Amino acid sequence: MRSEPIDPSGLEWTRVSPKYLRVRLLGWLIGSLVWILLASVPLVLRLTGVWDSFPPVWLAWGLPAVVLVSAVWRGILLPRQVRAIGYAERDDDLLVRQGVFFQRTMVVPYGRMQYVDVAVGPIERAFGICTLKLHTASPATNAFIPGLPTGEGARLREQLSARGEARLAGL
Amino acid sequence: MTAGAVVPPQAADEWRRVHVISPLVRGWIALVAILYFAGRDWFEGLFDADSRGRGPLPEGVGLLLAGGVVLGVVVVIAAVFLVSWYFTRYQVTAEHVRVHSGVVFRQQRQARLDRVQAIDIVQPFLARIFGLAELKFEVADAGESAVRLAFLKLDDAKKLRATILARAAGVEPDPEHPEEVPEAPEREVVVSPPGRVVGAALLSGTTVALVVAAAVIITLGITLDTPFIATSFIPLLIGVVGAYWSALSTGYNFRAATSPDGIRMRYGLLDTRAQTVPPGRVQALGIVQSPLWRLKGWYRVTVNVAGYGASASNEGQARATLLPVGTRDEVLQILALVLPDPGTPRPVEVFGAGMTGRDGGEGFVTTPRRARWLAPLAWRRNGFTVTGTALLLRSGVLWRQLVVVPHERTQSLSIDQGPVDRRVRVANLQFQTTPGPVSPRVLLADADAAWDLFHGQSVRAAEARRRSGPEQWMKPVSLPAAQTVDGPDHRIEVRANTGPGVSDAAPGDSGRASAVPPSGQPVGLHGAAEDLPVDDVATRSAVVDGGPPITAGSPSGFVVPSGATDAAVDRAAAPEQAAVMPEVPRYEPAPAQAPRSLEEAPDGQR
Repeated sequence: MRSEPIDPSGLEWTRVSPKYLRVRLLGWLIGSLVWILLASVPLVLRLTGVWDSFPPVWLAWGLPAVVLVSAVWRGILLPRQVRAIGYAERDDDLLVRQGVFFQRTMVVPYGRMQYVDVAVGPIERAFGICTLKLHTASPATNAFIPGLPTGEGARLREQLSARGEARLAGL
Repeated sequence: MTAGAVVPPQAADEWRRVHVISPLVRGWIALVAILYFAGRDWFEGLFDADSRGRGPLPEGVGLLLAGGVVLGVVVVIAAVFLVSWYFTRYQVTAEHVRVHSGVVFRQQRQARLDRVQAIDIVQPFLARIFGLAELKFEVADAGESAVRLAFLKLDDAKKLRATILARAAGVEPDPEHPEEVPEAPEREVVVSPPGRVVGAALLSGTTVALVVAAAVIITLGITLDTPFIATSFIPLLIGVVGAYWSALSTGYNFRAATSPDGIRMRYGLLDTRAQTVPPGRVQALGIVQSPLWRLKGWYRVTVNVAGYGASASNEGQARATLLPVGTRDEVLQILALVLPDPGTPRPVEVFGAGMTGRDGGEGFVTTPRRARWLAPLAWRRNGFTVTGTALLLRSGVLWRQLVVVPHERTQSLSIDQGPVDRRVRVANLQFQTTPGPVSPRVLLADADAAWDLFHGQSVRAAEARRRSGPEQWMKPVSLPAAQTVDGPDHRIEVRANTGPGVSDAAPGDSGRASAVPPSGQPVGLHGAAEDLPVDDVATRSAVVDGGPPITAGSPSGFVVPSGATDAAVDRAAAPEQAAVMPEVPRYEPAPAQAPRSLEEAPDGQR
């Protein structure tokens, strides 16, 4: 699935921690369960006879089925999505890529970084990983690297700050 | 910045208050509202009492009581405003502007002068009557003004603006008269005649919407045979009149001028506004032509300036408009102000191709033919080209758009590709800039060309940042050798390695750039400025007018002020401001057999 403009040759991506897949799977499991339960409400009401005619039976069955299929599809895709996330530190800038079908690669010059965030949620903390987010003067710069091992996140944060300082440019 | 250390405390460094009438001007709506409601209640009460024949109080006492209550409320409100006025003070020092405000919750705000992104002087109608003005100081936080001083006397506001700009620019104050900071001279370059503003409003989308809506309503009225036609026009008319009014009032009397302190804009019918955008503060520029404007060949120019942000309000949109309606020549003139060095010997042709052209002329790389079914109309127009100083992105068939991004202003960029794009080997690029109306992107470019642009642009942006001018745009520049440099890089070389942020001696730097000390501070004086008396006007003019930055010997298609470099010293020494009027940069069409641009990218047909 390597294609030239997104994954240029001569560039080695650093992939994120495999633990991030487990975090994502956990989140996916919880989210999917909630959605399937919600989508099953009309079916339950219909089967127990509380609602007698409104949702046709095919619709009552169809809704949770559609939700289930999409959840399974997302679940199948998850490992590939996580594997697709990567970053590469170059001399002057940082590259971040993501996406399986809709792929995106973003380049953020070190001198353009205004600040760097490292965020850790409760589940992420349990797995010892963190999410790093880069901010430039443009709010549209949506560059974040999830699933970094805590140590790597701290190293990258320091590294980026140091390089940003060395190449500091105004706006 | 050493000015503060050398020069004794100046008059402008005092703590000051805004004009004493300003609470009234700011609070007049509240006052009018109170008077209106109180007055109406009193009046109605009087009327009731008369009609019923039994007044609760004798006539005179009721009047007195009502008057007393109203007066009391007014006095309390006036006192609140007065106290808040008393506790609001501001100070302009050599490096900062400070504002202290608040009574219970005190606020002390301090903004660095060299971080200025724009300065506006706004005169709402009422303030205009009193000869007052509000001064807004914008830094790059893309939202609320960092400092708003409402209201000052117009003259004081102008003086303060001149002081702030001079200090932000790094102009050394005159040691003998430190208080006298003359306003930088300016030269008007674009004036919109009122007729054109009216025409532009009439040819806008509002008119189209009006015609369509009227047609729908009339058709409905006839087919359904109902009499509600007339009433349904009322809300429509209110909306349309509002839209026309805002177009008129913000575009009326529009003038753009150039000055050493950057681009000046003035406009407004009842409320007037004067904006100053210092050099190098424009992050991206968009030129748009709507279908109806094509009849007259008009364009609108909008910009992203970090201090202005992306506001949807009329005021916010007007602020981010560099030219509400202008002809092609005027657009090119404005472009020349924003981008004095177009980075190509054929600026008129290249920008012209960007505004109206299609296919691969003038170095534009368009959507490849194999992907034309993804954009059946726009594929011949979607495109980009790169000059030595800027990136040009072209799009749109009905709403023609050209976006210009100076290389050193690119924040970050991303390339994305969906499954369909991958099949036809195209990709989209998005350039992130500060918030604003302009959104630079390239749609459906050939995958290889997109990658070349993506990679090349990050290199070019890094290179341009190293060479870009200082934040303090008048700060004398140190470059002993630069004066002798010739060739296309002339201007760039001279302005190199100054100011904070260009001090990185990264690999690949030119020898000159790495010679700058790590502090990033300029080490000496500009070659031309060195011999000059350290006078505000003189220094300004020397750098802008006579200094090599603008032109001398550059092949890039400017009108070179004859003998600009030599004349600089003479002119600068002359005391009159008229003598130091800035030269207006202007793009000139290339001669017939002009050499092809070296920067030209390969044609788009692959």
